[in-house]
Amino acid sequence: MAPGALLLEAHREYEKSSQKADEYLREIKEQGMLAEAVRQCVEAAGHEYDSNTQKSLLRAASFGKCFLTDFSPEHFVATCRELRVLNAVRECSVGLPLTHTQFKQMTLQVLIDRLVYRQFYQLAIEICRYLKIPDFQGVSRVLKHWAACKVQQKELSDEAIARAVCLKVGDSLGVSYSHIAAKAFECGRTELAIKLLDSEARSGEQVPLLLKMKRSQLALSKAVESGDTDLVYMVVTHLKNEMNRGDFFMTLRNQPVALSLYRQFCKLQEQETLRDLYNQDDDHQELANYYVATSYREKRLDSRLSHLQSAVDEYNKAKNEFASKATEDEMRLLRFQKKLDDEKGAGLMGLSLQATMETLLMLGLYKQTDQLYRDFKVPDKRYWWLKLKSLAEKEEWEELEKFSKSKKSPIGYLVGGSSPQLAPTILFDFFNVKNISCASSSGLCGGLHQEK
Amino acid sequence: MAAHLSYGRVNLNILREAARKELREFLDKCAGSKAIVWDEYLTGPFGLIAQYSLLKEHEVEKMFTLKTGRLPSADVKNIIFFVRPRLELMDIIAENVFNEDKLHSTRDFHILFVPRRSMLCEQRLKEQGVLGSFINIDEYILDLIPYDGDLLSMEYESAFRECYLENDQTSLYHTAKGLMTLQALYGTIPQIYGKGECARHVANMMLRMKREFAGIQNQILPVFDTLLLLDRNVDLLTPLATQLTYEGLIDEIYGITNGYVKLPPEKFAQKKQGEASKDLPTEPKKLQLNSAEELYAEIRDKNFNAVGAALSKKAKIISAAFEERHNAKTVGEIKQFVSQLPHMQAARSSLANHTSIAELIKDITTSEAFFDNLTVEQEFMTGVDTDKVNTYIEDRIAQKDPLIKILRLVCMQSVCNNGLKQKVLDHYKREILQTYGYEYILTLNNLEKGGLLKPQTSSRNNNPTIRKTLKLWMEDANEQNPNDISYVYSGYAPLSIRLTQLLARPGWRSIEEVLKMLPGPHFEERQQLPAGLHKKRQQGENRTTLVFFLGGVTYAEIAALRFLSQMEDSGMEYVIATTKLINGASWIKSLMDTPEAQMH
Repeated sequence: MAPGALLLEAHREYEKSSQKADEYLREIKEQGMLAEAVRQCVEAAGHEYDSNTQKSLLRAASFGKCFLTDFSPEHFVATCRELRVLNAVRECSVGLPLTHTQFKQMTLQVLIDRLVYRQFYQLAIEICRYLKIPDFQGVSRVLKHWAACKVQQKELSDEAIARAVCLKVGDSLGVSYSHIAAKAFECGRTELAIKLLDSEARSGEQVPLLLKMKRSQLALSKAVESGDTDLVYMVVTHLKNEMNRGDFFMTLRNQPVALSLYRQFCKLQEQETLRDLYNQDDDHQELANYYVATSYREKRLDSRLSHLQSAVDEYNKAKNEFASKATEDEMRLLRFQKKLDDEKGAGLMGLSLQATMETLLMLGLYKQTDQLYRDFKVPDKRYWWLKLKSLAEKEEWEELEKFSKSKKSPIGYLVGGSSPQLAPTILFDFFNVKNISCASSSGLCGGLHQEK
Repeated sequence: MAAHLSYGRVNLNILREAARKELREFLDKCAGSKAIVWDEYLTGPFGLIAQYSLLKEHEVEKMFTLKTGRLPSADVKNIIFFVRPRLELMDIIAENVFNEDKLHSTRDFHILFVPRRSMLCEQRLKEQGVLGSFINIDEYILDLIPYDGDLLSMEYESAFRECYLENDQTSLYHTAKGLMTLQALYGTIPQIYGKGECARHVANMMLRMKREFAGIQNQILPVFDTLLLLDRNVDLLTPLATQLTYEGLIDEIYGITNGYVKLPPEKFAQKKQGEASKDLPTEPKKLQLNSAEELYAEIRDKNFNAVGAALSKKAKIISAAFEERHNAKTVGEIKQFVSQLPHMQAARSSLANHTSIAELIKDITTSEAFFDNLTVEQEFMTGVDTDKVNTYIEDRIAQKDPLIKILRLVCMQSVCNNGLKQKVLDHYKREILQTYGYEYILTLNNLEKGGLLKPQTSSRNNNPTIRKTLKLWMEDANEQNPNDISYVYSGYAPLSIRLTQLLARPGWRSIEEVLKMLPGPHFEERQQLPAGLHKKRQQGENRTTLVFFLGGVTYAEIAALRFLSQMEDSGMEYVIATTKLINGASWIKSLMDTPEAQMH
């Protein structure tokens, strides 16, 4: 007699409170077969169909286990669980009369798949939960199929389905709302798909589908919401190809973030479009800046000036008085430089006003320098610094003296008391040491800082 | 190689290792010998992740810089482009590939986008007809790069400009992503505080991204207790001021890029005895600066005025250590002395280097020009005569000092005065345009857009209140043995760091009024931790805060935070992260637009 059978018998006697139980048990133990007996009982239970027999075999195993000190319970527990699952699917309502061996062969995954295909969602989920399968392979997978099936139920309203799906699926990991929505869209239920997509947390999944469903506006706002610039660009490019220009601009106008990004793109790629965008928004300030930037790319003076003129007009419209005045000054300077370059070959083009004056002084064109000083309302202080320094460097003492007499210097000359005739020499020294800042701060030339 | 990253409160080497692993995985995807074509901007940051030896182990045989025209010849199977996702780079790549195809070469092409692939770029490659030539198109997510044991940077140069001038929040998206990566490695950060529009946006994105991963529980015990997000535009003043710490001054004067500084070589000439002095080296001396160097870690955050004393103290210790050799009598003692020699020699050469650097800096800081500039800065910071045209600035313009310096001062005055009177502002602007050229009208416009330069709109100037409440000016800053963060600017306590300090203790509730005067919302968010991950704090154990500066941070601010970490009773340690390490000059430069005239 196999030890397992003897163990079963022992347990039966034990239930009857018969001392034979002890006798049988001793017999098994003497052969050193108790562990084997338990194993046999467990395995036999696995192969049984009748639940009562399963129970008595398992009870016998459990009984035998008590007399073993280091017997691993895993096999026993697993068999109990699996039997429970098997018994459930063997119910006539399900009707899958699987043997334990078949079950092991086909694996749990396949069993769940079969249940899902036969739409026993509830049972499948309970099995997953009972066997503690990770959500990702278990419950979520079932829910995904369930939802995909649910969205196809024509008799239910969009509202009801969306609610049912969200209720069940909740935040389950691994169930992608976009996947469900895609299914709904395939079945022609766009509205439902959009409702479902609302619950999708991953914008990367949401947006492409919305585009596919031609809900570009919604796609755009979802992309903006996500903060993912690349996603926004994706929608913007899509919109650009899909819409006419006017509509495209209008759409962007309602999405400032997308508009800014598109501007960034245009700055690099489509300068012309950038202008149109500013134009549409009546953004005169930016438009003016655009013209200023463009003017620098021009190779010819007249076209450069015409861009600058446009900039002046726009600055005026933007009520930016300072900028429009400054740009007019810039144009005036360019014309002046051109004239002198043509007349004297002075090489002034592109220099700043200050550098222009400096060059003119170096060339000894004092009259023209003075003209610039007056025309551009150069502050006296800076002009005096420039002129004194240049004249001193050139050692033009006569001119320097003439200049010093022309008007009271706003920066003073010297320590009090020295005669103006001495000025050039001292100034000359003082510039050569290149110590202007030190001198001014150390108080050597007290007058330097006097306000005019 | 990067041991110094693991000495801090938070082991940032984990982050570096994760980045290295990903790099190796990508390289192994392209089987066979390889050549890498680099977007030059990336080489610096990449150097902090992996040296050439790692690349070599994975069969990288050649490296080139991405350039127009033809690829240099190389006998390799794979050509890999490491690039930022920029359209102009795509055109260069397309040209490279196109030329290669003409030669009927059989090499495999790959692209690795850093830090993220971009649909626009791929589209561009497609338009150029080369997209199909690439076998692998991948992204290498490198957002936060460890720069030191307590410092992370994205080195995203244009972040401030994009956020505040162009309304382009791409950098913030990368920031949020970077913080998610950080949380994946170091645990969910339970508390998030923030101040400013960008901070709010980043926090929103983080919470949103967390929802996207809903279900995946992060099972790592949180390393950071708090995250503080700060907008740069909450504190525009600090970067404009001249930094007065040792590291800050090195950065101000020579510029530190990716942990390296290039110095004039004269001071570093090798003087070997008996050798005729060779020609002076002409190549700039390149030094790596980080906490791996013991001496540097000790002195970098000191006020420069305290560096001299520290260096001479160190010199005495080192020469005393060398003198030890005379006391070594037994073989054992000599052996022990010899075993310490390499360490001592390293210390000596480190001392020599820093003495030379300190001399170079001292030449500048003791000049009158530096002193005058600093005086004006400090006047502005204390609110003296900020509403009038400043004569010093006028003089400096008349002397044609570098424009960036002028802009820095004018912006500083504007920020300190909460905007300038229209007349004053226009005067400065006219002075600048006439002296430096009208093209700078675009730059001035940018500075106005960024809020660094602005006309006074309301008669109310909140600065005195803010200065007083937050104690931003400390009359008797102790430079040698500081007891307050104001030592980093010799009197001025950076607003950004004060906010950080007050958040830790006694909390922001005490300064609600001031917070309302500063731009942008302030907020607090909590992230739920899975049960069982709540930290059980040992008694006396410090808390850790990650302070993220959106739009850049200066070395002086970092020094101030390190100072707070070291204060015995602060109970808080700080790890610093930023979009970019900046100083006033580099910051202003990033906001400039200088069109070059095509006409001559």
